[in-house]
Amino acid sequence: MEKQIDLLQGTLDMLILKAVSLGPLHGYGVLLRIQQISKDRLEIQQGSLYPALYRLEHQGWVASEWGESENKRKAKYYRLTSAGKRRFQSEAETWNRMTDVIAGILGTKPEEA
Amino acid sequence: MTLWNRLHSWMRATLHRPRMESEMDSELRFHIEAYAEDLVGTGVPRQEAMRRARLEFGGIDRAKEECREARGANIMETLLQDLRYGARMLRKNPGFTAVAGLTLALGIGANTAIFSLVNGILLRPLPFATPQNLVSITGNYPKGAFVAMREEMQSFDAAAYFEGHEFNLTGRGEPLRLSGVLVSAEFFSVLGVCPELGHPFYPGDDKAGHDNYVVLSHALWQQRFASDPSIIGRSIELEGVSRQVVGVMPAEFRFPSPKTQVWIPLHSDSRDTIDHWASDFMTVIGRLRRGSTINQARTEIRMFQSRVFKLFPWPMPAAWNADISVVELHHGMVADVRRRLFLLLGAVGLILLIACVNVANLALSRSATREKEIAVRAAMGAERGRVIRQLLTESVLLAFFGGLLGILFATKGLQLLKATLPADTPRLADAHIDWRVLVFTGGLAILTGFLFGLAPALHSSRAALAESLNSAGRGAGVSISQRLRSGLAIAEVAFAVLLVIAAGLLTRSFLALSHVDPGFRAERLLTARVTPNQEFCSDPSRCISFYRELLDRMRAVPGINSAALINTLPLGGRLAKRSLEIEIEPTSPGAIMPLFWMDVVTPDYLSLMSIPVLAGRGFTSADDSGNPPVAIVTASTARRYWPGRSAVGSRVRLDRDTEWRTVVGIISDVRAYDLQKYVPDWINGTIYVPYTPKATLEGGRVPSDMTIVVQSSLEESQAQDVLRRTIASLNPEVPASEVRPMRAVVYESVSTPASTTVLFVAFAALALALGLIGIYGVLSFLVSRRTREIGIRLALGAQRRDVLWLVMKEGAKFSLIGIALGLTSALAITRILASDLYGIRPADPFTFIATAVLMSAVTLLACYIPTRRAMRVDPLNALRHE
Repeated sequence: MEKQIDLLQGTLDMLILKAVSLGPLHGYGVLLRIQQISKDRLEIQQGSLYPALYRLEHQGWVASEWGESENKRKAKYYRLTSAGKRRFQSEAETWNRMTDVIAGILGTKPEEA
Repeated sequence: MTLWNRLHSWMRATLHRPRMESEMDSELRFHIEAYAEDLVGTGVPRQEAMRRARLEFGGIDRAKEECREARGANIMETLLQDLRYGARMLRKNPGFTAVAGLTLALGIGANTAIFSLVNGILLRPLPFATPQNLVSITGNYPKGAFVAMREEMQSFDAAAYFEGHEFNLTGRGEPLRLSGVLVSAEFFSVLGVCPELGHPFYPGDDKAGHDNYVVLSHALWQQRFASDPSIIGRSIELEGVSRQVVGVMPAEFRFPSPKTQVWIPLHSDSRDTIDHWASDFMTVIGRLRRGSTINQARTEIRMFQSRVFKLFPWPMPAAWNADISVVELHHGMVADVRRRLFLLLGAVGLILLIACVNVANLALSRSATREKEIAVRAAMGAERGRVIRQLLTESVLLAFFGGLLGILFATKGLQLLKATLPADTPRLADAHIDWRVLVFTGGLAILTGFLFGLAPALHSSRAALAESLNSAGRGAGVSISQRLRSGLAIAEVAFAVLLVIAAGLLTRSFLALSHVDPGFRAERLLTARVTPNQEFCSDPSRCISFYRELLDRMRAVPGINSAALINTLPLGGRLAKRSLEIEIEPTSPGAIMPLFWMDVVTPDYLSLMSIPVLAGRGFTSADDSGNPPVAIVTASTARRYWPGRSAVGSRVRLDRDTEWRTVVGIISDVRAYDLQKYVPDWINGTIYVPYTPKATLEGGRVPSDMTIVVQSSLEESQAQDVLRRTIASLNPEVPASEVRPMRAVVYESVSTPASTTVLFVAFAALALALGLIGIYGVLSFLVSRRTREIGIRLALGAQRRDVLWLVMKEGAKFSLIGIALGLTSALAITRILASDLYGIRPADPFTFIATAVLMSAVTLLACYIPTRRAMRVDPLNALRHE
């Protein structure tokens, strides 16, 4: 298994939005989903997950309601709102552009400079 | 939408705090348990799984705290925390808190007091039904014109009143002179007010022959009739006429003036041409009818004005009511005070600014000593915004305490204000501290807190961390602070200069006014209005012999040197107009005669008042017979109508008289109307005639409301007693009113400028005191900061006077700049005082120079103590300092 990398500042919100865009999840489910998608290559501080969720809900990008978990327990489920969907799209776009640019810079060979 | 979302989630977080907490708890517990479950699934023992799950989750409490933060749930908590901390800091520095709190309380208190005046007089709606529909017409009309207007107006219901009539109340106990208002029958219904007892006047109640009614004021009913409700329907004797009491108005009804004691129907009688068209030019008010606007009323009244000339039985000057208009009643009532109130508001606004600057300066000095505390908090992870918020909370808290104390001051101040302002200030009784005033004060306190708290807060929070923690660090931060502080001190001096100049100008003007020679000598003179019923005086000889008998009896009292009568006492607030014809300048038929002020006097009047006779002679007892009729004119009248020749020997004839009067003397002018002018501009001249049956007024009657002037060597109260007893012994039905020394009459005529002056002087004194404290604060801080430097200078051989110069230079710098700024802005601003000034210009050089000198002296005084402290610095101690 590859060494886990720490999350870049500010990317956790984007990952959470992505995770819940695939369907409502409870907090623990968000963690599992991100680890699953990233194939366990990202190290996520479990403690920082909830403040992020609360912040996203406060901003109206996700909405929450209480439901029942797989093993019949009460759990709080988060789903993406339409405002959150738009937000996620614009963030993803920005992110993609930025990584392109950075990749381009890092990929520059000496003779081209 | 997201804004709503945030607000909603914040509300939920704040209002449903316990629910949010329990939900957060179960959510996090679910997470940990679910994780542990999964670990158990991979073969970890349950207990170990729980332990690991908790461990990997990290600090649960920190996570919770961050969640709350994310929701804004902590805003309230932070605020409470800041408040507690702020209160602790204020308690820990009682000196600062006391000085700053007191300064703010003075500033806020002065503003609150003046604002309660503004609120009561200008802002509060009139206490009448739908006051926004009430209007007032800017010109006055005689009864005849009003009756026509009342019938013709479509856009509003009109009512009219006339102030200035007085009525003798007799029949029970001591006779009383009442101040009454003649009103048209619809007066109360137009205002939309009801008596607290009985009923108002009904339509038709003002027609001659059906108008023997009266409505009483609450105060009169209480004082004279012992609040007896059975007074309704009973009759009382007013001016010898029996009138039925139909109503008693509530105590809070004070229209048109707080002095009003009785409302009496106006008695319209079209057969009495003089009464109907020449006397009692009435004020007209109206209530807009449904759907009508004030503009329609204006158009209508202008149309009416163009027709009204034809209704008069004689020609009226074309300029009469030429600029007639309709204004809101409230606006019309307070038009005169509005400007004065705004002046006062401006003055206290300046005081508040000075107070703010003062406290900002104090807070800056303190923030210098708090740099370390703030740096520590910053080092512990407090964000800059958090530090600013904390400091601002502290200053708002301080301002809040200042505001509370300020309200106390304002309550006292408002009492003083009401006592200082002239009693005839409209709606003065309506001014008290109500919820609007409290809201104003609360807002003011918060604003003030921000105003004086912001600069120190921004500045302190910026203080470089390392620099402050290192005690030697006195870098850029300090010099910024010093510049800011000097700027504030300069502003303070400039504001104070402005107020001192305003007060100086008003004082100088008032002094000039009090040194005006009124044209008579007021010393040792007692005056009183002696007013038999008009009915009694319908027989002129009975009336005149009553007054002559009174004079004789008074003169017979030991200690009374002299006594005389006049119909309109100079500066007494009344005037008597009379049209007359001048023989050498005959008025062509149909033209308008000159309008004169006519003083009716007894022979001793001129000598008693020390009014010099310039040519010819004064009146003698030989003139009392009225044959031949004589007159005296004033010097300015003689110059105007008999230029280049002597008026003595020429003749005049009173309107509707047949006999010509010979002018027998010229006397010097008297300031009869007010101290600034001799007589109003629209009066063409002044004539004196002896009190004989031929001395008729405009209405054809001899004056029956004479003022007696007595010169005596008795104590004032003794002389008053003698006067009252003499009148009572002569005719127990005749009241004596306005019994007061002539000096008081003169003083009351300047009560308006006197009150403005007194208030401005008080404000200027307050500003000076605050300014003094401010400059002292800045300089002593400077000295304490530079103690070490001064010590080094002294150790290196500097002389004490070098140190003196060092400190004084700083003080002189900002006081001079402040004075210069203040003087320049005063040049621009004092122009608004121009109409309040008498005898000096708004740019009066003396006042400006004196203010500059005074301010320099005050700032020097403020520099003195810190400078002395600096000069006493002991180099050895200073080097060890800190």
